[in-house]
Amino acid sequence: MKVRSVLKCFFLPSLSLAMLAGGLQAADYQKVDAGTYLKHKGAMDDPRPVYKDLSYKKVLPPDVYAKLSWDVPTMEKAWKEVVGFAAPEVVGKIAPEIKPGKYTYKDMETMPGLKELMIPYFRDKFFKPGAPPWLGNFPEMTLIPTRQFYYQLPVAEATKRNEGKTKLDSKGYIIPSSYESGIPFPRPSGPFKAQQIVYNWLKNYWCAESSDSVGFFLGFNSHMKMDFNGLIEIKTVRLQGRCAIAPLGYFDERAKSRKEQSAVMLSYLAPRDQYGTAVSIVSYENPADFDLFQVYVNVLRRVRRMSATDTQDAVGGQDIIYDDNSGFNTLNPNRYPYKIELVGEREYLVPFSTDGSIYLSSKKGLELKNVEMERRPLYVIKMTQLDKNYVYSSRLLYFDKENFVLYHIENYDQKGRLYRTNDTFTTFVPEMGMTTQTFVISRDHVDLHSSCATPFITPITWLRRGDMSLEGMIKKGK
Amino acid sequence: MRRMFLASVIASVLIALLAIGQGIAAEYDVGGRPFTIMGYITQGAAFNITGKNRLDAPQDLESALTNVFLETAYKPRDDLKFYGSGMFTADWAYDIKSNNNDWVSKGFASSRSNLYMDNKDWQLVKEAHVTWTPPNWNIRLGKQIVSWGEMDGFRLIDQINPLDGRRGFADVEFETTIIPLWMAKAEYYVPVKPSWIQDLGVEMVFNPNAEFVGNQFIKPGNNAGGIWAPDINSGLPSPPFPPGAVANVGSANFDFQRPTAFNSSGYEYGLRIKSVIHDSIITLNGFYGLDQMPVAKVTGMDPLTTAANGNLLLHPDFTGKYPLMRFVGGTFSRDITPLKASFLGGVAPVLRFETFYEFGATEWTSTNDWVHRDEFRYAAGMDWKVKIPVLNPRAYFTISPQFTDRRIMNYPDRTDFTLQTPGGPLYENNYLTSLMITTSYLHNKLVPSFFWMRDLTNRSNFFRYQVVYDYSNKWHFSLGVMTFSGSIQGQGFEPFHDKDEVYFKISYKFG
Repeated sequence: MKVRSVLKCFFLPSLSLAMLAGGLQAADYQKVDAGTYLKHKGAMDDPRPVYKDLSYKKVLPPDVYAKLSWDVPTMEKAWKEVVGFAAPEVVGKIAPEIKPGKYTYKDMETMPGLKELMIPYFRDKFFKPGAPPWLGNFPEMTLIPTRQFYYQLPVAEATKRNEGKTKLDSKGYIIPSSYESGIPFPRPSGPFKAQQIVYNWLKNYWCAESSDSVGFFLGFNSHMKMDFNGLIEIKTVRLQGRCAIAPLGYFDERAKSRKEQSAVMLSYLAPRDQYGTAVSIVSYENPADFDLFQVYVNVLRRVRRMSATDTQDAVGGQDIIYDDNSGFNTLNPNRYPYKIELVGEREYLVPFSTDGSIYLSSKKGLELKNVEMERRPLYVIKMTQLDKNYVYSSRLLYFDKENFVLYHIENYDQKGRLYRTNDTFTTFVPEMGMTTQTFVISRDHVDLHSSCATPFITPITWLRRGDMSLEGMIKKGK
Repeated sequence: MRRMFLASVIASVLIALLAIGQGIAAEYDVGGRPFTIMGYITQGAAFNITGKNRLDAPQDLESALTNVFLETAYKPRDDLKFYGSGMFTADWAYDIKSNNNDWVSKGFASSRSNLYMDNKDWQLVKEAHVTWTPPNWNIRLGKQIVSWGEMDGFRLIDQINPLDGRRGFADVEFETTIIPLWMAKAEYYVPVKPSWIQDLGVEMVFNPNAEFVGNQFIKPGNNAGGIWAPDINSGLPSPPFPPGAVANVGSANFDFQRPTAFNSSGYEYGLRIKSVIHDSIITLNGFYGLDQMPVAKVTGMDPLTTAANGNLLLHPDFTGKYPLMRFVGGTFSRDITPLKASFLGGVAPVLRFETFYEFGATEWTSTNDWVHRDEFRYAAGMDWKVKIPVLNPRAYFTISPQFTDRRIMNYPDRTDFTLQTPGGPLYENNYLTSLMITTSYLHNKLVPSFFWMRDLTNRSNFFRYQVVYDYSNKWHFSLGVMTFSGSIQGQGFEPFHDKDEVYFKISYKFG
């Protein structure tokens, strides 16, 4: 080969290409990509308050930040009108003697009220010193005053405007065409109250209607040795019922004509084996329609169609299955249907991180540090699987009564054993009416394995369809 | 050579130290943007298990393959990426067994120049390209891989990049076998489409023939093809040889006409229309260029030699070219949801289909001539995940059968001549099938797999049994066995009947 000829042939055009690209106007937005995130928050042993250091006011262009922020008192008032209460007003009834302050797990022995306020799984498996086989125990926490959670003002307005329009059929399944936007059942009631709560979660507006996120994903075996270390970027778009970020209503004509509900584009930056792999998932309004699931396979350099029915196998060494991503599989009367019951309605202590300073310690049994908890009014839903061939026999879910966010899930296998749990620690951004994921812990109680994710989610306004489709996969792929 | 070897060793050690010392991620900040380094180091060993002292099989250790693969990526902007990768491959069996009588006497040592160390520039530099991705576009210039098709293991429509098959069926990484080429590729994603088309993209590929490489195939003769040299016999004329006398096909001379760099006779063009329609992935493909596999004629014969076991060895001279290849084709893929069954785990199979029609392919005849015939090739595959609780209560089995046919249109009247390839006759229909079964245990850490490829036309088989243990996302261990068999001498997998081996590999992946 004539090296000089090849270099001349390709170097010059490549250089021109690079100069042309570089000459175009650069984005006036400091994207929180992997590099930026790594500078402000390490995967472990890092107590820095990432939501202060990388506040949305700092990372978003001023006009975008202004578009995504609303007057707090107005949002508080609007949401209270929608759901009928504010959380601080309805908590404090159980163990009122447990006040904000610092507590350790030992306090449960001397303060029965503290024990009573803990979700049973937390009491038994989380609020204690770190030890094998799972990461994420926390021996101390700070109890903070209960806050009012609410959504963006347009979401409250849409919820109010569309209240009563969303219908369930005679078996409690949503009639897709009856839903327009907003939270469908802001005041759940009646014989299908449990189903309404579940649909409120499925249609919720947490983490923004369009977002770009980056995060670590770490896996540990039962000896607390790291066996997986991933770095992932995720783009998500709500395709239907958009209220706060333009375009409103349906994202585009394709979403409208095909009745698409949401789209996710996930790309792996690490580990090396998965670098350059991209996953695209489009979900539909009609639960009878299976997701469009495509993967750009890095080593093949090809897009492969995957079966959207492959939802029960663990995702590449992680402690969740595809069906666990939204908490549970699509509610479909003809495919793994559930009997859904409301089994509890009371306040519990729920973990949060107000500023993102929560972190996993590499010492002392992989303890979680800087955990904050607050009293939250919760719904406890039990979903009993009616098909004995499904991987789980039942699920127990804990939803927030005020914003319907799902915090804790327990999944039991067909033998009745606790199989997998999933816990989401959130951060609330008051001026944006947004609840975002900060720390996620998944545990496998049968294989004795655990993993955690630390997403940093940025609401953005400039996602294109191309970013979420074939074009996006090829661009993110190797 | 010694300097090259030392440099390679030093580079490998440095890379290893760099990688091992990196901790969680090998990422650096260059101008405020991330610069990533990642790769892997593998060390394998393979042992022949045929159990017989055969001319075409070394005893005991037959390869000790090292791969060092390094890749870098730099994104100065969100829409601009530089990517480069390089690889170093060496088979230390040539050093370890350099004084081994069996290895030397059977001629394997003499294949050192071909297979000891991959140090040609096209082998060391794998990919080197820049990608610009403004809205609706994906433009890539440089040394790259363009991968078409839906099949695994069969190459139908995937004809743009050549393959390096010199090391045969050895457990090499995918990225070590595909040979990147200097090309320009532009993809345009159409923003306005009819509503029944969910995605639509047009991909254009141009290969200016900066460096023609072609498929690197297994050469006959232990002294050229090494441990994978096939065992092929040929009858000798009588007289002067006794009736029924045969000779093994030994090393051959290959004189293939290839286009010179940047010569327009080597230009290649590819066009692919990619779409997602009603949740199915559909592509239409067209290609005009050169077949990566040469077509040859025997134009002479060097003097016979004698092998270590006393067999006569033929040394043919082949003259050939890389013929024109022109085809149109397409692929289709979707899951067949009505076939899901709850008692099998509820997963629907994914169907993959690919086909192409080649115009005027150049074929070699039994009369040692070339003719032109159209070819029609098609393949179908399926991926089906099923739950078999008695064998694996926690994870699914993935079962992936594939079938392919290579059909020669207007097949010649057999009274005149037949068609052939170096691997045996080429029939009117040439069927291949494969089956892959895999599952996982221990939380996806232990992955056993079974692979079977059957050449239906030539009635021969290739089996691979393998287990991979992922100790972590850095350390991986593989153990496997490969076996070959066939009913017809010299055809299909039969020439590899003495190549059964057990192999072991350790991989360290970083970045």
